[in-house]
Amino acid sequence: MAIQETLNTGLNIQPEAEADAVLQRRKYIGMNVLRTEDPAFLTGRGKYTDDVHLTGMLHAAFLRSAQPHARIVSIDKTRALALDGVIDVITGEDLEDTVGPFSTTVHRPEVETVTRAILNSKVALYVGQPLAIVVAESRYLAEDGVDALDVEYEVLEPVMDAEKALEEGSPLLYPEMGTNNFAHIEFQRGDVDECFERADHVFKKRFHAGRFMAAPLEARGVIADWDASGELTVWSSSQVPNLVRTYTAGPLGIAESKMRVISEGVGGGFGMKAHIFDEEVLIPAASQRVGAPVKWIEDRYENLAASLHSKEVIVYLEMAVQDDGTFLAFKGHYIGVGGAWPAHPWTSLIDPLPAASLLPSFYDIEAVGWSIDAPMTNRCPLGAYRGVGWTPGHSARETMIDDIARELGIDPLEIRLKNMIPDGEEFVTVTGMKYDGGSYSASMLKVKEMIDYDGLRQKQAELRKEGRYIGIGWSPWVEPCAWGSEVAKANGFAAEFFDAASVTIEPDGSVTVTTGCHNHGQAHYTTLAQVTADTLGVPFESIRVIENDSATAVYGTGTYASRTAVVAGGAIMRAGSEVRDKIIRLAAHAMEVSPEDIDLAEGKASVKGVPDKVMTMQEIGMLAYYGGPNRIPDTEPTLTATRSYDPPETYSNGTIVAIVEVDIETGKVHLQHIAACEDCGTMLNPMVIDGQMHGAIAQGIGGGMYEDLAYDASGQFLASSLMDYLYPSTTEVPNIEIAHIETPSTVTEGGIKGMGESGTIASPVACLNAIADAISPFGDIKIMKSPIGPNDVREMLRAAAAGSNGSAPATQPADVETRLSQQAEGA
Amino acid sequence: MSSTIDVGTQPTDDQRILRMTINGVQRRGIAEPRMLLVDFIRHELQLTGTHVGCEHGVCGACTVRVDGEVVRSCIMFAVQAEGAQIETVEGLAKDGELNVVQQAFRQEHGLQCGFCTPGMLLATESLLAENPDPSEEEIRDYLSGNVCRCTGYVGIVKSVQAAAKQRSQA
Amino acid sequence: MKPAPFKYAKAETVAEATALLDQHADDVKVLAGGQSLIPLMNMRLARPEVLIDITGIDELSGIEVNGALTIGATTRHVEVLRSNEVRAFAPIIAAAMRHVGHVGVRTRGTFGGSVAHADPASEIPAIVIALDGELTVAGPSSERTVAAADYFVSTFTTDMEENEILTAVRFPYPLDRARWSFHEVARRHGDFALVGVAAVAEVDDAGVCTRARIALSGVSDVPVRATAAEELVVGSTIGEVAAEAGRLAERQIDPGSDFHASAEYRKEVARALVTRALNDMATKGEAR
Repeated sequence: MAIQETLNTGLNIQPEAEADAVLQRRKYIGMNVLRTEDPAFLTGRGKYTDDVHLTGMLHAAFLRSAQPHARIVSIDKTRALALDGVIDVITGEDLEDTVGPFSTTVHRPEVETVTRAILNSKVALYVGQPLAIVVAESRYLAEDGVDALDVEYEVLEPVMDAEKALEEGSPLLYPEMGTNNFAHIEFQRGDVDECFERADHVFKKRFHAGRFMAAPLEARGVIADWDASGELTVWSSSQVPNLVRTYTAGPLGIAESKMRVISEGVGGGFGMKAHIFDEEVLIPAASQRVGAPVKWIEDRYENLAASLHSKEVIVYLEMAVQDDGTFLAFKGHYIGVGGAWPAHPWTSLIDPLPAASLLPSFYDIEAVGWSIDAPMTNRCPLGAYRGVGWTPGHSARETMIDDIARELGIDPLEIRLKNMIPDGEEFVTVTGMKYDGGSYSASMLKVKEMIDYDGLRQKQAELRKEGRYIGIGWSPWVEPCAWGSEVAKANGFAAEFFDAASVTIEPDGSVTVTTGCHNHGQAHYTTLAQVTADTLGVPFESIRVIENDSATAVYGTGTYASRTAVVAGGAIMRAGSEVRDKIIRLAAHAMEVSPEDIDLAEGKASVKGVPDKVMTMQEIGMLAYYGGPNRIPDTEPTLTATRSYDPPETYSNGTIVAIVEVDIETGKVHLQHIAACEDCGTMLNPMVIDGQMHGAIAQGIGGGMYEDLAYDASGQFLASSLMDYLYPSTTEVPNIEIAHIETPSTVTEGGIKGMGESGTIASPVACLNAIADAISPFGDIKIMKSPIGPNDVREMLRAAAAGSNGSAPATQPADVETRLSQQAEGA
Repeated sequence: MSSTIDVGTQPTDDQRILRMTINGVQRRGIAEPRMLLVDFIRHELQLTGTHVGCEHGVCGACTVRVDGEVVRSCIMFAVQAEGAQIETVEGLAKDGELNVVQQAFRQEHGLQCGFCTPGMLLATESLLAENPDPSEEEIRDYLSGNVCRCTGYVGIVKSVQAAAKQRSQA
Repeated sequence: MKPAPFKYAKAETVAEATALLDQHADDVKVLAGGQSLIPLMNMRLARPEVLIDITGIDELSGIEVNGALTIGATTRHVEVLRSNEVRAFAPIIAAAMRHVGHVGVRTRGTFGGSVAHADPASEIPAIVIALDGELTVAGPSSERTVAAADYFVSTFTTDMEENEILTAVRFPYPLDRARWSFHEVARRHGDFALVGVAAVAEVDDAGVCTRARIALSGVSDVPVRATAAEELVVGSTIGEVAAEAGRLAERQIDPGSDFHASAEYRKEVARALVTRALNDMATKGEAR
């Protein structure tokens, strides 16, 4: 196996934390402060994209491909243009001179760039691909226009099997590339072969992690107003408004300074809305063409079929294990089941690359080796969703560890504890990831106590005698978080990330904070105000946080990958500490004492030991802005600072356990309870953290048991409505119990670690392992795919009863090298 | 076979003026028959608190109350609501004060992105009107037609319990 | 996702409605609760030129018990669910209603609409089959009664003509003393059933079953009766033949596959649910 180590050389920069003092005076950090955001939402005054109405606004609808793979012979606009109220019909040719392409890549030598027209009206590569835009006086009329377009397809053979797509002779999505595979990456650390030779056991598994998606309750939407002076305002339901500006200005041929992106109310993002979508270019282009504001609101069909799918990775794993359960080494091959093109800008590598990078998780192994392939198929593009590829990677690894535990007769908790790295210390994993201390074992033991594990095992044995089958599924996780440059590199993405914050004391002493992150449910206007209040020493109520608009907040990259608490929080601590120093110096100067003698708390600067020598923030603000000669000479009037922060690698951790009962006859799984313990270092607001855990776990339940973006072999999309794409509702999600351990990061500002995604990383496999545990008395049960619904449970039970491996497919996977060499020969 | 019955109204696709009472206020707007009630409320009457999540009657984001009953306004035509009494999220707070259910949702972290919230609040109002002291199972059953993608429903169930308790003490 | 244009009229009488249907019979749909029709129209999978709204016809709505139970076609699900009369007459109806969609669907959806929509996975058609329901159908010039067994023709297709409407569903005999059981397996609470069973039985003082009806949903293009199982049960002590009856039911059906469940799954589950329903009736006489 060729070994390449292009990334993660272990020389990652670890910037020092500089705002240590903030935690020493904490008053708000760690408190359950109620959300500032709520009253607007509770009264129906949230301002989502579809709530925006502009004078003269027209409405767009898209013609979308009904074919997975076809040449478009013609699109006849005649009947559509003849309809009353239809203003324009736009196809790719109409935009050739005005709209540039997207070039999408991950900057690594192994990755090929894919460049494509943003509106391709000549070739359809998946069901749902935009082929034409109809602009009309209303959405109803625009859809009438779409209906009246006559399309002639020349059907081509679809590429649906991702593994066959890698073989020579497969039909190609991009014949000019000569391959469907835009990335082949290999990595190895330690002597993998030696470990596998030495091992008492070598286990192998193929796990096909299913395709599911964020499907936020508010679908996407774009409004563009390209006015006569050449200024473009875009409203987009995005969690990265500044990146929308940066990435679309080029194809649109406009300066970023002339472009404003507003993403005020966003009804859920979950990583899906952290991409740059074709419509974010096409709707501005349509507005420019028709000379009026144009609105497009994604409907649920478009959202399901044609926004972004996630998580589908075929994983081949091998583990070298000793008789006593000691893990020696892991090997993996990850095939990311990509769609028609790499989603912009992260590409479908956002699933297999993090999945592979985190293969060792927190197991103390000697060697690791992995490879990745990234075939494109005739499906909706694959991109980020809460927990990205850590979910499929984790599901594959942790189902396999349960298989091994059963095979070796070791309790699934014990085998994990046995192989766990130590708690509380910095640790460099075999791949070079730098963990900043965690409660890996302690979180498992905490959950063990929460569920009375030993008692539950006893109950399980008793119930089995009555013909009832409960199961317990363990899923301890480590989550790379706070997406900055170093953690990105540790996960294979060689790019720079940061975020920024400005902290300003206004003349009246109130405080305005802006950040480049994005608030869409995570309560930033509350939690970041808590950070600001403690950083400055001012009341929470005096602070307003502004995000979500490129014109009113500082530039930054947005909110995704569990980053904002650390990255924006850190930037606020840094900027706020600077402002605090200015305030203290100003107050000291005004009260004629030295800065060391000033106490700044609750918005008052007082002289230590002299209670009546006090200045309010209003007095300080007025002094700074309008005090003229009374100010410190050589200082500027503004009381503001802007700082950015690109944190070192940081990792949160925890454990989820699911308890299920399986109805053997019907395969129905009743998820009875979820217990979890999480550790995200310094907590900003435990109520919000609990909410993030609850929501992420529920989404993982969907991915583990319900949600499946299935295609048939001919490339038709089978989950095109919410009658078939099954969101968990109140009756599918049990009560979720959350406990906390705080192991502050040893490296970040304030010891904060990121959180928010772990539930979706870890809960699918908690459910899967619980199901397997419940039905394991029926034979050799192995979970080989997700999601697992009642039909799958019955299939496993039938296979187990027939004496074969209780799973599908029953074939034993070839080893990773054989697979790679076969592929190399084929390629 | 042709009819001998005198048909009072022939079907038309003409736009018509619709009158309905929304949150106690008489409102009028113009709609062709195909206009969905949710579009009429949001775009014709500009009450954008009621949201659109799926347009096929699954997610519950468009939940309003029509003549006292919770309905999905995305699978009802506006023309069917002619003369009806409609309640939307905008009518819940009185005199600028959040009502008991709204307060409970804030207190118990029953919302995150806020998109499902209007529908959840109206469904909760109906639940508590029908059953002032619901069990957790009854809450979960009643709200099972309202999807939330953010909270995992834990905060929502607690919010409804808190509101029920608060109301029973009032 | 917006409906295509259509012409709309709200009928005030059955005669007016059937006359309008007759006039526009080429491309007309009846609008009652709209909970199945409007989603299809929003997706433009249904695009009738004319919609005749029958919810303004007073005589079509209401519940009447007079030896038999008659439920007017436009009676909302929620009214059936809340009705003490229905619960007293045939508690299985109330039990099944709890599985029909969600609250916000039951407030608009109508009993007759669900019957006329004829979704083979839906609860109400199975109930109509299990309870020997009779369907009253009005046309422009006449009214007729159709037995449940003749009414459901195939998926979304009934015995009715384009110019007819369903006016009422009649359940001819009370089931207040009958034993009953209703089970279904759906992916989620409120979803259409993958497989459902609605069963009623009468048992004499000696514990012998004298009459049985077992209807299955989700296993064919119409709700079907497990007749072989019924024949086995009648004349037997239910509990003793429950397992065998389940096997007979499984053998009788030939369900299809979709991506939620294979045919094999549906057969196995039909067997399990029939057995379960019979065991319920053997012991306590009722179930969920």
